[in-house]
Amino acid sequence: MWAFIVRRILYNIPVYLSIILLLMAGLRYARDPVRSQLSKNPTQAERDAVKQKMGLDQPFVVQYVKFLGKTLTLDFSEESWSQKGRSVGDVIKKAIPPSLSITVPTLMASASISIVIALISAYFRGRTVDRTLVVLAVLGMSISFLVYIIFGQFFGAFWPNQVTQTTPFAITGYEPWMPLLTEGASLRNWVEFCMLPVIIGVVVAIGYDTRFYRAVMVEETTKDYIVTAMAKGASKPKIIFVHMLKNAMIPIITRIMATLPFLITGSILLEMYFKIPGMGFELITAINADDFPVIQAFVAVFAGLFILSIILTDVLYALVDPRVRLS
Amino acid sequence: MHARTWKRSLPAIMGLLVALIAAPAAMGQEKILRIPMTTNGPGTMDPIAGSTTYENRACSAVYETLLQYKYLKRPLELEPCLVTQMPEVLDGGRVWKFELQPGILFHDDACFPGGKGREMKASDVEYSWKRLADPEYSYKSWWLVDGLIKGFDEYKETQKARVDSGESFDYDAPVEGFRVTGDYTFEIELNEANQQFVWRLAMFQFSIVPREAVETYGTKFNAHPVGSGPFILKNESDWARNSSILFHKNPNYREVYFPTEMMPEDEEAGFGEAAGKRVPFIDKLEFTFYVESQPSWLEFKSGREDFTTVPQAGFEEAFSRRTKELRRSWSAKGIESVKVPLLDFIFSSFNMDDELLGGYTPERKALRQAFNLARDWDENNETFYFGMALPYDGPIPPGLDGHPNNEDHRAPYSTRGPDYERARQKLKEAGYTVVNGKVTDLPVIEFYTSAGAESQRITELYMRNLSEVGIRINPRYVNFTDLMNKVDLRQAPMFSFAWGSDYPDGENNLALFYGPNESPGSNHSNYKNPEYDRLYEKIRTMPPGPERTKIYETMRDMVIEDAPFTGSLARTRVYLIQPWCKYFKPTEDFYTYIKYIDIDMNHEDREN
Amino acid sequence: MIGRIMRSRGMKKFTRNRLAVVASFVIGIYMLIALAVAFGAISLEECRERVLPGRAYGFLQEPNQEERFNELNWYISQHLESTLGSPSGFASDPDSASRRERAALAERGIPEDLSDSQVQEIWAALSASFAELDDAWLDREDLRYEIADINLMISESEDADEQADLADELEDLAAEGETYDREVNALVEQVEAGLLELMPIPTGFAGLKYGFRTFLGSDESGRSVAMRAFYSIKIAFQVGLVAALMSVSIGTILGGLAGFFGSWVDHAVMWLVSVLSSVPYLVLLAVLVYVVRGNALFSEWFDNPQERPGLALVPVYAAFGLTFWIGTCRVVRGEVMKIKELEYVQAATAIGFGRIRILLKHVIPNTTHIMFINFSLIFIGAIKSEVILSFLGLGVQGQPSWGVMISLGREDVQNFFFWTVLSATALMFGLVLAFNIVSDALQDAFDPKHV
Repeated sequence: MWAFIVRRILYNIPVYLSIILLLMAGLRYARDPVRSQLSKNPTQAERDAVKQKMGLDQPFVVQYVKFLGKTLTLDFSEESWSQKGRSVGDVIKKAIPPSLSITVPTLMASASISIVIALISAYFRGRTVDRTLVVLAVLGMSISFLVYIIFGQFFGAFWPNQVTQTTPFAITGYEPWMPLLTEGASLRNWVEFCMLPVIIGVVVAIGYDTRFYRAVMVEETTKDYIVTAMAKGASKPKIIFVHMLKNAMIPIITRIMATLPFLITGSILLEMYFKIPGMGFELITAINADDFPVIQAFVAVFAGLFILSIILTDVLYALVDPRVRLS
Repeated sequence: MHARTWKRSLPAIMGLLVALIAAPAAMGQEKILRIPMTTNGPGTMDPIAGSTTYENRACSAVYETLLQYKYLKRPLELEPCLVTQMPEVLDGGRVWKFELQPGILFHDDACFPGGKGREMKASDVEYSWKRLADPEYSYKSWWLVDGLIKGFDEYKETQKARVDSGESFDYDAPVEGFRVTGDYTFEIELNEANQQFVWRLAMFQFSIVPREAVETYGTKFNAHPVGSGPFILKNESDWARNSSILFHKNPNYREVYFPTEMMPEDEEAGFGEAAGKRVPFIDKLEFTFYVESQPSWLEFKSGREDFTTVPQAGFEEAFSRRTKELRRSWSAKGIESVKVPLLDFIFSSFNMDDELLGGYTPERKALRQAFNLARDWDENNETFYFGMALPYDGPIPPGLDGHPNNEDHRAPYSTRGPDYERARQKLKEAGYTVVNGKVTDLPVIEFYTSAGAESQRITELYMRNLSEVGIRINPRYVNFTDLMNKVDLRQAPMFSFAWGSDYPDGENNLALFYGPNESPGSNHSNYKNPEYDRLYEKIRTMPPGPERTKIYETMRDMVIEDAPFTGSLARTRVYLIQPWCKYFKPTEDFYTYIKYIDIDMNHEDREN
Repeated sequence: MIGRIMRSRGMKKFTRNRLAVVASFVIGIYMLIALAVAFGAISLEECRERVLPGRAYGFLQEPNQEERFNELNWYISQHLESTLGSPSGFASDPDSASRRERAALAERGIPEDLSDSQVQEIWAALSASFAELDDAWLDREDLRYEIADINLMISESEDADEQADLADELEDLAAEGETYDREVNALVEQVEAGLLELMPIPTGFAGLKYGFRTFLGSDESGRSVAMRAFYSIKIAFQVGLVAALMSVSIGTILGGLAGFFGSWVDHAVMWLVSVLSSVPYLVLLAVLVYVVRGNALFSEWFDNPQERPGLALVPVYAAFGLTFWIGTCRVVRGEVMKIKELEYVQAATAIGFGRIRILLKHVIPNTTHIMFINFSLIFIGAIKSEVILSFLGLGVQGQPSWGVMISLGREDVQNFFFWTVLSATALMFGLVLAFNIVSDALQDAFDPKHV
């Protein structure tokens, strides 16, 4: 087992190194990184001075090693270009809680709701209920995420605001809500700022998740133990909701594991639309503001987390299914 | 929680306790002014690193400049702010003598001994200005003094060499043109006489900062401003990035009074009752940032913001399209609307070095003029600015000397469209074939413009206008950085641009066509006309007056005829002010006005 | 290859799925429209043309009195006045022919059988009656002001008598307002009739076309929403086809090589797959487009929607092509590894066929069904991602697309102006749904075990 884990890690190290290599080369040579830092009408000397200050005049290898070293030691002390006086690390640190307050509830709600739906679907397999649910899932998947957001915001926040003059949900924005961590924060803030995005995120995710879990369940129904249980005359609900669910836990957990990195990257679209200053929002803002250090660090962090979770998923798989270790 | 975090938050907790104890007494009297802004917020609060209007607003609350604009006077005029009187001008504008007011204190801050703000001295001014030459700040604001002050450019080069060789920047080395003559007095010697120099003294980049703060906080100084202005940033956490900034009244602010000099309309609006009273009136100031205008608009409507500018989507709701007046249902609530014409020059420019579009022959002039004639500026105005913007001729925005002040804002020789027939005529003059009203042999022109929904819509309308006469352009939507790069390298044959005047003097805009300013300078069109350059050099040394205005007009007409650009348009910003927000006269030319605003906290419609 | 799959058992199963057949038809219709647009049925120029005043409603939404007035105000005092000029001198204007031409909005123009002097007559009458309407309108506005003032006075007054007086006055004014309203309405109708006389709504084929162009209303600069929504079908196919073709072929080739040859080839390909899939997909897309667009070298070549409209989408293609092949590659590799072990392949090796020949002739053709399924999955993915990229400002530029329409139209939604977003959404929904059904059916038919 340990050999397998070590092998997975060793395999992923060059992968990570190449991501950083491609990223850094792309950001440096495919476009001019420093123009946004210059005055209205810069001279070449000023341009060079800025490059020098930012360390961009050093040989690429040196920059690469330096950045890699900093990333691996989680040293993000470089200053953001568009948010002066803030380190990149601070930007990342501040962006994580908002992302988590959207993604964690979304993930939990959508997973549990869609597992229930999938079980119901499997219970009524081939009957009208099942077919209707499948069709609904396909219909739901055929609408753009953006459209859900636009109309979700309109009918969930804008319309009530205009008509009833009450504000159940904020139209956009974010306030810290975790009590104890920040002064004046309260759970009401969560309801006001995060609830609507979470609802929209869940509605969108249900279509995809239901299809996946249903397929898992349907495959499970063909397994011998179910057939045996049926033959022995166990009640159908009990088979479906107890035995099957237990056995389907493995694919369910691996799927949830696979979505873990999204907890950190956040939903870029939801964050952009509702102006929730999470990781996705900060990344796109940085792209629009040409904030070189932030873009670089964010992608490096995203990729690192992604790889970690891939390794974790692999290991989990291997634990469950020893055959995997051989390949 | 780490011990360190505890220690850091201790003052905050203490402050909270104090606030809790003091709260009952202060209840109902704490006046808080809430201002929304459509932005992510300023990027920095270090004046010399700033450039945007949002940075200007934030810096103007905390810092002060030597001079400031008279709050209520129109047209704009300067008055002393940190100095005792307007500078003494010697040698026709070459030498300027200043005297600081004694007793001006910096904010109380931990960077000073004992945490008590010390008095501002002439050496602080010198220090603040020298920062412009420090490579640490990427010369972001150097353009303001480039070639202006005697010995300053040399100082910049020497210090650059020092820093390159590993030594530190020497703030104590002298600059020939900057002479501190006493604790409070200093004089500045320029390379040559320059009348416009005085305007820069009111720009926020020239704010006076204390050396201790810069050196204590390093890059953190960007987020930890220490100045002498009417407001202070008590804690760094009062600036919630991307969301809001909360300022508190500076308890040590010197005695400053509401101006007694005002225009008749201000008198009518009841500003007289505040005249001579000590400012600031408010205790707290909150900027709230909205990336999208719509939530801020709703907040304003529900009384949770004290004034706002009208977003594009809000015009239909608040204004009658026919009369352009505020709807009665709004003004009946006491909301007041004020239209503020901006010192705005929106235009699109040609690269005069371009093989197809550039050049000074009559044919090329005619070709460029055709572009202007084929643009429907009125439709543009009606579609994107609710008909409230102002199309005009030439580079000088309305309200300044040299602007064509007639009903239609037209210069004697005007090529402002739409006049498709004349555009076709011009195309023929330029040697092109026009069949069925459309030019057939003009290649597609590359047109660089900024990315973004708004810019795309405007460009698409422009394309439609131009296609009336068969001109085809190929829009390239690039972000601002890439646009500037293209223009600096003279690779953009045609590009759109907007210039907000740095100070209210037409010279600032005329400089955009001054030969020696060519790319990568601010003369992005690389327009070169010896006669124009000669006149420009002349006006720089001339005091304002009819004689100078005459030259401004001559220069304006020269560029209209040579057509290195097409235009122009000046936007009008429309402010809506709540009935409880008093003594506010909106402007976008300066932001030192906040200290003069008062709030009636007990107004029935105000929501907290 | 195609023939083989057409005759396969899976295909029979697929054709038995009636829903899937209907969906295939729907895709066919979309494809025909896309082809028609590509061959010039809707030109980019027409998508930019003004057909109506700005923000005119589409069907199902009726303008109220003020909106009708604003519309007329635009027609008369902006459009006709700037195109026809003053009513008095029209007939003697040497330029009258071209003025008439410019007054036309799409197919709706001044009829040719009207002589210049007749046009002048109608135009004069029209502008006179509009002047009257305008006066009435301003009076009506003034009255509104008065009423609001009195309401304010009532709320401020503390004297009951005064309040009663004011209430009486208010009643009078309200009655007066009704008279005014009637007058304004009558005048609005009169001006509308005059406008119809000068610029009748066309009939026949032209009328059909005009009806199509206006039935979904217009955006803020008066462009036809319908034209833009339908033009976008072409863009959707362009993006979907190119992305799917590119990704499927790259994915099949690399996956095939990796699965078949194993050893270092496999390692190299899987390494590439790992690298690209280690960056979250939306982040990868955003960064790729950012880098490609900012690059002077690339943009010189492709960024010219006027002359090379297809190439303007290169950054989008590149981003999609580079990200979407990964999935196909993984599946094909797995399948090839399985096929490689089958007897007939072993036999071919034993006979001494070249490895490449075996791969191309015997292995790859057996993955055709995977290619089909992935093709339609990537097609959907590309269309949906285009919308997201356009919202982030990184997608299609310079021409209409559903993404552009949705992201530009979202502010209009807040002004209760839905058609821009709705039409793009509806068209996109139809296409994506059809593709979803087809790919489900394909999966059921060819790869029943796949989840």
